[in-house]
Amino acid sequence: MTITTQSRPQRWDQPFGSDMTDGDVERLLTIPEIQAIEAKKFPSRISLAGILRNDARIMQYKAGDIVIREGDYGNSAFLILNGSLRVVLAPGLPGEMLGRRKIQKKNFWQALKQLWTQKISPEFRDVQRYNPESGLREAKDPGSAHVFLQDIPAILDSNKTAILEGGALFGELAALGRTPRTSTIFAETDSELLEIRWQGLREFRKYDQGWRRLIDERYRQNALKAHLGATSIFEHLDDSDLQEVADHTLFETYGTFDWHLSYKKMQGQDRVEGVKDEPEIARQGSYPDGVLMVRAGFARVSVQRGNGSQTITYLGAGDFYGADEIYKTWKGETDVSLKVTITALGYVEILRVPTKTIEKHLFAYWESGRQGGTRDGNPNPGKRRRIQDFFEQTLAEGALQEWAVQERFVNGTQAMLINLDRCVRCDDCVRACASTHDGNPRFVRHGKTFQNWMVANACMHCADPVCMIGCPTGAIHRSMSGGMVIINDDTCIGCETCANSCPYSNIRMVSIRDEGGQHILDPQNHKPIIKATKCDLCADQITGPACAFACPHDALNRVDFRDVTWGGETGGQ
Amino acid sequence: MKRTLGYAVIAILFFALIWVWTLEVDSSLNYPEFISGGALFFTIFFLCLFNIRKRVPFLPLWPARKWFLLHTVAGFLALSLFWLHAGIMWPNGLYVQILVFLFYLTTLSGIVGLVMEKVYPNLLTRIGLECIYERIPRDIAEIRNKAETLVFECTEKTGSDTLAQHYLETLGWFFQRPRFFINNIFGGQNAQTWVMQQCSILERFLNASERDYLDKIFALAEIKRKIDFHYSLQTMLKNWLLIHIPLAAAVMTMVVWHIIVIQVFFN
Repeated sequence: MTITTQSRPQRWDQPFGSDMTDGDVERLLTIPEIQAIEAKKFPSRISLAGILRNDARIMQYKAGDIVIREGDYGNSAFLILNGSLRVVLAPGLPGEMLGRRKIQKKNFWQALKQLWTQKISPEFRDVQRYNPESGLREAKDPGSAHVFLQDIPAILDSNKTAILEGGALFGELAALGRTPRTSTIFAETDSELLEIRWQGLREFRKYDQGWRRLIDERYRQNALKAHLGATSIFEHLDDSDLQEVADHTLFETYGTFDWHLSYKKMQGQDRVEGVKDEPEIARQGSYPDGVLMVRAGFARVSVQRGNGSQTITYLGAGDFYGADEIYKTWKGETDVSLKVTITALGYVEILRVPTKTIEKHLFAYWESGRQGGTRDGNPNPGKRRRIQDFFEQTLAEGALQEWAVQERFVNGTQAMLINLDRCVRCDDCVRACASTHDGNPRFVRHGKTFQNWMVANACMHCADPVCMIGCPTGAIHRSMSGGMVIINDDTCIGCETCANSCPYSNIRMVSIRDEGGQHILDPQNHKPIIKATKCDLCADQITGPACAFACPHDALNRVDFRDVTWGGETGGQ
Repeated sequence: MKRTLGYAVIAILFFALIWVWTLEVDSSLNYPEFISGGALFFTIFFLCLFNIRKRVPFLPLWPARKWFLLHTVAGFLALSLFWLHAGIMWPNGLYVQILVFLFYLTTLSGIVGLVMEKVYPNLLTRIGLECIYERIPRDIAEIRNKAETLVFECTEKTGSDTLAQHYLETLGWFFQRPRFFINNIFGGQNAQTWVMQQCSILERFLNASERDYLDKIFALAEIKRKIDFHYSLQTMLKNWLLIHIPLAAAVMTMVVWHIIVIQVFFN
């Protein structure tokens, strides 16, 4: 018998930048921001030079190139080595200038016109539309392509901007926090930037006090206070009290940032074992030491039942847990412990507000009888249930929700949920989708099933859209109006980054064709031009999602699993 | 359910209104058939609109689920209005007899379709396997290839052709294409019984290693049986409209001619 061997995969097997040389690393070690890092504090297996070599890359931007776009998701931060950049301040640049698709709802006549303007050829594209002056700077490596701005003086005249120069660090909060970029930054002059992926940033923050202080302070200054102020339990606080809460709040992360890469491997895993492997945020029966607030990602809420654990619900961004337990202790009840176990589903960011701070700033307010009726977990009490409500449900009642958590469908805000007991498999939904997309359906009426429920392979417009991470041109983006994740066909370069990242395989790469049905080829290598396609929730249709609109049996709904009750009924589309 | 009841109540009220109106017209020695006939034509026309609506899903003409409910309720309303209009179950005269025959067939096919659409999805879900109709031939071919590979392997590894002979004589028939169509559409269990019988007949002639192969083939036959079930039911669900829609078109055409003729002779 022959034994197949392979050297154990290592963290840096795939460096961020394939062109990084020892010379580049030497040069980086001499720049002041890196020189200030105490290299000896890094363990030998994760050396500073190793991080620079493998978790960073040097990027060149020409004047006008967009470095980051407002609303994009990215997993890296940038340090300016040379050149000058501009941050576009509010209200920001229009979407089309950033390489995004302008969504305009069709009027009745335009909608009707679809009846006879559809092409017979699948995936037809008018190549004239791909204007070479569309603002896309192509590169040898598709991942390094940029969208660029064409008339910098005009942009500077018509927008408020701020200058960023050598030594400035930006993009670190969005990279570490998995939140959208808050502004657009472009190169004013030809610039050289050091791009550091989140893994490297995490190590810098972990082993270097200076970087940790810098990142944490920026987070507290720029994001934390605003985030706390927007939550239902702290919305009553004034500015100074909010600052005090922010100063005492602990910032924690759990799980792997790149959870989507391991998600598919996890699919065949035993359900109980899968839960055991999830990083624990809070354990059932332990003493409550603060309110846990989810800032980003998802956390599983489970209780011990028999010899297993039952998932009763999940927490998403903006949800919190623990206030009730602390309140009971504060009121003099003894032996109060956490009633649930909370574990990280993928990657989760938690804000832990310590008990003392909660007692001072929240309970006095509650005692005054002015609270808005929510104490736990649910920032929207009118619509959703509180964690306590789930304790009463039977195993059968919670099964659908548990399955959705297990399969990570809870990430979706517009999952296509089909009730198979009603679905007559007529494919009216598929036909309707095709009719509204030039004859090309943008989903497959097939997917994972549980009892009589199927989640079809249609883009779920995720709360945590990992498909958007790494798109070099920002072609896949979240629409500012409506929040759906859409692809701008004009700026998609077919690099497949989004399709490979989507954990649910809901993005399809298609070979585009001309009117005669022939594949459109790249003249250089004669390979077909491919584009990413997916459900766009019929953003430009007056009817909304055509699939749900066309289902005669009310079997198909676009749902957020938060609104799905145990019977599979939805709180509304 | 609440919505269906709402539409049903509207339909009943509409029918009552037409009925009372026809009685009133009749008592004043006019022609009540024009009232009931007009209402019937309007209802049949509305029924036909559903198919047109399905072809323009991008127009904001109410969600299809509401149309479907209205179509169902309007179908029963049309039957009631027809009896009110004709006054009898079966009229005299060849033309109207053909018209009424087609109308009854359309109604019957609609009712059968409705029943299938209510019953079959549940049966398909309970089978525990989902498949796309268009992919069924490919799925069956894949299963057949797997089964035949197992049969070859069994013969090669065990040196016995008992399983291969049985496959050629009986099991191969089952794996060839969808089977037990009629039995499946009535929700029968004949396929399951047949597969179990064919496997158990063979079992006592096989040694332990051959039985392992038979178990694997049995597992494949089970999947094939479920795919067959999907094939039968989905064929019915997809194809009943191929009867219903042409019949409805024929009825509509004959109704239009019927109205023209009545108008010509009446005038």
